[in-house]
Amino acid sequence: MMKRYRTVLLAVLALLMGLQIAGSGGFPKSWNIHLSDPINTWQSWIRSNRSHHWLFTYLLNPITSVVEFGLNKTEAFISWLPWFIPAIIVFAVIARTGKWIVASFAAFAVIYPGIVGVWPQSIETISLMAVSVVISVIIGVPLGVWTALNKRVESFLRPILDAMQTVPATVYLIPIVLLFGIGKVPAAIATVVYALPPMVRLTSLGIQQVPHSAIEAGQMFGATKRQILARIQLPLALPSIIAGINQTVMMALGIVVIATLVGAGGLGQEIMQTVRQLSPGRGLVVSLAVVSVAFVLDRVSLALVRNPGSTQHKFSRQQWLAFTGALVAATIVGRLLGWHEFPFSWGTSFADPVDTGVIWFRDTFSFITHPFNDFIVREVLVRSQKLLNNSLSWQFIVVAASAIVYVIAGWKLSLTTAIGIVLIGLTGRWPDAVDTLSQTLVAVLISIVIALPIGIWLGRRPRAEAALSPILDSLQTIPPLIYAIPFVMIFTVGPVPGVIAAVVYSIPPGIRLTSLGIRQVNAESIEAAQTFGATDRQVLWGVRIPLAMPSIILAINQMVMMVLAMAIIAGMVGGGGLGYRSIEALTGPNKGLGAEVGIAIVIMATILDRLTQSTAKRLQAPAAM
Amino acid sequence: MSSVHGDASKAIEVRNVWKVFGQGSPDEAIALAKAGTTRQDIITSTDQTVAVRDVSFSVARGETFVVMGLSGSGKSTLIRCLSRLIEPTSGEVLLNGEDLLAMNADQLREVRRGKISMVFQHFGLFPHRKVIDNIAYGLEVQKVDKATRHARATEVLNIVGLDGWADRYPQQLSGGMQQRVGLARALAVDPEILLFDEPFSALDPLIRKEMQDELIRLQKSMQRTIIFITHDFAEALRLGDRIAIMKDGSFDQVGTPEEIVSNPATPYVREFVNDVPRAKVLSVRSVTVAGNAPAGARTVNASSRIETVIPMLLERDEAIQVLDESGSAIGVVNRHNVASMLQAEQR
Repeated sequence: MMKRYRTVLLAVLALLMGLQIAGSGGFPKSWNIHLSDPINTWQSWIRSNRSHHWLFTYLLNPITSVVEFGLNKTEAFISWLPWFIPAIIVFAVIARTGKWIVASFAAFAVIYPGIVGVWPQSIETISLMAVSVVISVIIGVPLGVWTALNKRVESFLRPILDAMQTVPATVYLIPIVLLFGIGKVPAAIATVVYALPPMVRLTSLGIQQVPHSAIEAGQMFGATKRQILARIQLPLALPSIIAGINQTVMMALGIVVIATLVGAGGLGQEIMQTVRQLSPGRGLVVSLAVVSVAFVLDRVSLALVRNPGSTQHKFSRQQWLAFTGALVAATIVGRLLGWHEFPFSWGTSFADPVDTGVIWFRDTFSFITHPFNDFIVREVLVRSQKLLNNSLSWQFIVVAASAIVYVIAGWKLSLTTAIGIVLIGLTGRWPDAVDTLSQTLVAVLISIVIALPIGIWLGRRPRAEAALSPILDSLQTIPPLIYAIPFVMIFTVGPVPGVIAAVVYSIPPGIRLTSLGIRQVNAESIEAAQTFGATDRQVLWGVRIPLAMPSIILAINQMVMMVLAMAIIAGMVGGGGLGYRSIEALTGPNKGLGAEVGIAIVIMATILDRLTQSTAKRLQAPAAM
Repeated sequence: MSSVHGDASKAIEVRNVWKVFGQGSPDEAIALAKAGTTRQDIITSTDQTVAVRDVSFSVARGETFVVMGLSGSGKSTLIRCLSRLIEPTSGEVLLNGEDLLAMNADQLREVRRGKISMVFQHFGLFPHRKVIDNIAYGLEVQKVDKATRHARATEVLNIVGLDGWADRYPQQLSGGMQQRVGLARALAVDPEILLFDEPFSALDPLIRKEMQDELIRLQKSMQRTIIFITHDFAEALRLGDRIAIMKDGSFDQVGTPEEIVSNPATPYVREFVNDVPRAKVLSVRSVTVAGNAPAGARTVNASSRIETVIPMLLERDEAIQVLDESGSAIGVVNRHNVASMLQAEQR
């Protein structure tokens, strides 16, 4: 057995050497299949047909009008309300569940954007999100129910949903921009596309998780299918559906910044501005407005689901009437007195100290940050790019990569890898992909080194974890681009701020999943080890970590995917690579470039995702048997 | 539906019901089963499972018919076939002479709304509805107005002894109380036939006994037709007017508790019977011998359980006169008869 392995290994090595000598560095440029051409052709077709083709006059233009109408009316209505009314409503909805402190916080979060002077922008963002979320729910819930009840629909939709979540927003914004132009409507539609998958998935999950016995009981009492759906399945799936709405809201917030690239305006535009002005303080202040919007919507949606049997206070009809009446009266009085605009603003006074602090840090620690920056760029990134672009032949890379994947995950994925890498070459985006890949790998490596030890440490200290969890939560709600701003100031524009922002962005879920894995290790296994006299260290390395391995690999998987997502954002702060190209495609004339970038990213994401997932599965397999 | 046949005194007649699980045509599996192939061998050769194998029985109005079997015996599948929650592969299920299996979806729904009701093993309550709305569910489905259905639900709630719990949610109740709700829900639609799918197996032993007593009490006043599934032989003996012992999809034996205990038909049935204290199951009739007790001797009814005469015989070693239902003497029972019956049990 050993001997055969050695023979195979030697053969592969010989093949690799041969390929290295015979092959050429980089991917042959003449092999480019010019994927961008059909897109560009399509683009000019759209341009010349926009005014009269039926696709536009009978389908897309009406959609645009409806969405635009909804956006404008929502925005106008919220702006029309006296500024304190939304805060009162939010407070009342949450206070009804008896959580007074949370309610007060939420009410404050509602007026926070006003305090920092971005009231109109936050209304714009909230309207965009409200309309997008409503559309997502209208489309997503029925689709989710349908997928849950029909196997064929499910097997058809699942891969599409997967793809919708891996394709970076900048890429699928392109066809949307082509079809709908620039403005709020394409932004809303892009948000819907991005936020739809969790809505469909969680609805479908909720329906599928309804206990079979409840459905059987319904059938047994002669309920029709429609009665079972309306009175049993949907009500029981409600918590999951609300969780879906919650997720949808968070996803929608996630692309607030990117939506700015197609003219969304609102808070996203403010954030883009702070990036351009390189003001981390202002960026922080504005992104806290985004966080507060997220917080409010999250809490309100949670408060709206009533747990059956909970003891929370319920309004009687009279109380409702009184409350609504008071609200209407307050609105009328507010309007009469002209209190609809936010009365004051403290503007940037929060922002300045942060900016000063970051500048102080940059100047004080430049003796560390500059060498670090130079080291990462020159020694790591540039070298690895040279290696993959020039020194190694592309044939060598294809065979070596698929050989490594074969050893880890088997021949199927190995074949996918080989085909995928060649495909990336054929799109002509080889150098960009190499650029993105090297940044991704560096960021993932740093993330692993930081997140895993912290996660392992926290896994055994539930109290420390509970204390840290609000911080980890809010790190996940801040728009990723914001992370980059202070690092851009400290390290100057280039790939390094992007890499560090990606690390900061991906660490929280990494820590979470690792500590979860450590914590969920079967208590009996640990007790067994202890009864045999194992030391704490032996328990950790011999029992906890091996048993938590699938979870740890999943943590790595999550981090890889998040770093990759961030790589696109990094394009906005000088990260180069595929991210930069996608923005170039979106904002420039060469829309076809977007298709090339999209395919390259999806291939990279798919391979990295499957590779880590299959490793996790393989580690779990012996436990299942 | 024109074929009105069957025995009018029977509430339900089940004829040759089969259920085969698995892909493709069931014919081969059925043919193999008819030829006597074991279930395991059929799985190996056809990849199909014969869950219910040619089951026939009938239940009289007001009778409690218990199907007792261990897990995998097909009893849960069988009870689901009776209401077509699982579609039987073939056979007939006659309700008042009408074949349930020939009905279309609308007719079936009507039967489920009015005639048959079911109590589930894990209660099958709706966690998002209050107790009262759980109980009123069957009426709600029939579009009965709210006032009427709540009035009826309250009535049934009192029958099962849960007055005052109407506005709680199921998960706020203990297991035994939840199953009372399940029972009330089934009773609310006033069904002719009640199906019980291991209703008490998820409960603690003490609560289980309490619920059995409750059911016996209710059945005395209601006189419904009951088909009751259980894996607990003692429960079957307590509740059943007749018992079917099910194994590998078919009935090994059908009979009254006494018939089964005194005369187990197969070694499999004997295994259950062995653990049963016979004095609690067998009637005095089974140990009665010919003869006449002296005048003035004590008397006992022939259908009483043997356990009732033991203290009498211990008190005084004199033969007791055994009377049948009409009061005429059919023989005597004495210490010797009972002692030798008890000794036989030891072997």
